Amino acid sequence: MSLAIIDARQWQRVFDLRTGAGVEKRTPLLKMVMDIQSRRPYPGDLDDSGNRWVTDTALDLIEGYDPSFVFLTYARQFFIGRYSVLTDGEWAGMVSSVFEEVNRFVARSGFTPLIVGTGAMMPFADFIDVTRLDGLVLSTHWSARYAGLHEGSARDLDYLAARPEIERIVSRDDFRRLFSDCGGDNSRIPEYLLVARPGYMFRTVGGAFRRVRRVPAPAYTIPVSAEWGGVSSITGIRRLVAEEIHRRKIALIVVEGLGVEDFPWSHQGCENGRDWFYYEPSDAQYLTLTTGRHQVFEYPTGYRYFQEDAEKKEYPLSGYFTSIPENTIASSLGVRGIAVGNRSMLMHMAPGADISIECFARNLFNQGTMAVLHGTEGI
Amino acid sequence: MIDFISRDQPGFQNPAYLDIKEVFMQCAYCEWRCELGDGSPGVCRMYIEEKGAIRERFPNLWSSCIPSRVESVPFYHAWPGSRCLVIGTAGCNFRCRYCSNSFVAKQDPAMVREGMIELTPKELIRRAKQLGCHSIVFNVNEPTVSLPSLLGVAAEAREAGMPMGCLTNAYTTEESTEMLGSIFSFFNIGLKGLSDTFNRDYIGIPSAGPVLRNIRTLAKLGHVEVTTPVIESANDNELEDIARFLADVDPLIPWHVFRLLPEDEMKEARYPDIDAIAGALETIRGYLPHVYFHNFVGSDWVNTVCPGCGATVIERFSLGCGGDRLISCHGRGNRCPSCGGEIRLLGEKVAWNAGEGRS
Repeated sequence: MSLAIIDARQWQRVFDLRTGAGVEKRTPLLKMVMDIQSRRPYPGDLDDSGNRWVTDTALDLIEGYDPSFVFLTYARQFFIGRYSVLTDGEWAGMVSSVFEEVNRFVARSGFTPLIVGTGAMMPFADFIDVTRLDGLVLSTHWSARYAGLHEGSARDLDYLAARPEIERIVSRDDFRRLFSDCGGDNSRIPEYLLVARPGYMFRTVGGAFRRVRRVPAPAYTIPVSAEWGGVSSITGIRRLVAEEIHRRKIALIVVEGLGVEDFPWSHQGCENGRDWFYYEPSDAQYLTLTTGRHQVFEYPTGYRYFQEDAEKKEYPLSGYFTSIPENTIASSLGVRGIAVGNRSMLMHMAPGADISIECFARNLFNQGTMAVLHGTEGI
Repeated sequence: MIDFISRDQPGFQNPAYLDIKEVFMQCAYCEWRCELGDGSPGVCRMYIEEKGAIRERFPNLWSSCIPSRVESVPFYHAWPGSRCLVIGTAGCNFRCRYCSNSFVAKQDPAMVREGMIELTPKELIRRAKQLGCHSIVFNVNEPTVSLPSLLGVAAEAREAGMPMGCLTNAYTTEESTEMLGSIFSFFNIGLKGLSDTFNRDYIGIPSAGPVLRNIRTLAKLGHVEVTTPVIESANDNELEDIARFLADVDPLIPWHVFRLLPEDEMKEARYPDIDAIAGALETIRGYLPHVYFHNFVGSDWVNTVCPGCGATVIERFSLGCGGDRLISCHGRGNRCPSCGGEIRLLGEKVAWNAGEGRS
């Protein structure tokens, strides 16, 4: 059983993560986590102290749970970069600030870091308007490069093929073939995957939008920094941790919005996809990192996510996730693990840590924090 | 006389409104009654005077066009479990200090148009069908600032058999309130507070008088639910007075009391005390039974309880501003499963995927 603790500021409730049913029990472990949530309210995605909250909360949780593996995400610079006009100097300051937090965490915790950047950002160039096609084009909120086309007509395909801002149109079969060795459920893939050129973003039907200033830049390789070794692919990071975890305490630290170009620590570039496909910061990238195998099909960009949102959908606090991903890094290392970060539901779903604390923010609206305890002894 | 001219429907006029008399291009859409002319777009910045007519500046441009659970809007007593297409435009005639959508509602609409979606009413309804939606709901900002476009959407929606609802602040003139009633059949009206001081300081309007008047009018024209965001030490002392007013209009009006989510100019404000507000609402349920308290994750106060016997009839789960969802309807139709008493609902439960394949 997995439990979720919601802290909406001065108010806490415990739920069964799968069903959403209220849970009354309060074990010492639950109380320890609830106390941390009470002490550490999330300041907000764009707040100056958004990344400091990650460090402080993680340090508190280490003190309370004594884990050997920590998964952290620092994402504030990604949110700010996406929606703010920043000079180069301001962006450099943002990068410097996040690494001060990484350094503070490492110095205070004594954990050995393995740091991964999810890919750089670049100025937004323009929209590719696909809202008036015969077919339906869907994308996800944070994606710029990819969108899915459903029920597209021949006229749609002609129109899309003539758009210079579109890099390629990939049929479902071709997309499956590219990752044919990776298995997994691929029933959600749209008929066509549309791929934008760098800087462009698909304008699809969607929610109320803030003005976008930056989008993910091409990230065929991403930076990885570890003092004990290197990897050639994002799928190898999990193994790198597993091989070392019984010799030292390791913190796998994900820094969003940073690529090989602006990564300030010594690092290696590792492959972040395959052929023409690279991951944007997303659940697919996180799940690939934490499971050690490509996860492009699980919740692919442009799938009809809303069809699965019926009443009684399980995991109501976990967004579009319909189950807890299996064989994730923290769930299979055989040591105590925690996860903390300001990338909402990815924290309790992707690493599979015993205990996670995440911001409960949606579309930048700050509603508090959520902790999740996955089948941990003592819950 | 106002005539409505949109880019896609040149010279479009709605016969229902040809009798609205106007003097010197005074806008008659909302109670600000702005003088439009010389390029001035008025308070909402969505209308201008052009060649002796009041014209919509950005017809058929939508800031939002996304499928959503109807409970997320929120509508708790209209077609439970159904999927609606949430649409919105830009601009607003209020200046709420805590506005959650200020990046659309308070910005100059000319500045946000780059990110908006252009769809004619016909295209919008086609998208709604493709997305398997049962209804269209205007959310995000205030529908009064885009009425000509919405008249066009309503005509198409009617033809498609698709009901329309909206969130509105109801700061409309009597004439445009009637117009709202012709477009929409279900409303969630924001009644932010009663006192002039509160309305001046937090909402930017002189008085809630027109809103109260229009709640009474719209309650006669369609299905009405009401939402009040609670701001500690600002309007929390008015909860009982608001409840008494609503009970006088109709004791079965569903009332959504929102815990303020501090945003925009009030980002640093305290999050209101949940237990204190919940306690204050308890006695109110004696005369206004459908009182809900939410806008925070995991709220305990989102279920519909039978006013007759107290049995839980509809269960929901609240994800705060992330959207509420239906868990289960226990009643048969709109009847309490325990005592058989009627629960007032507009329509009946609609299966989430009922509209799939409509296109």
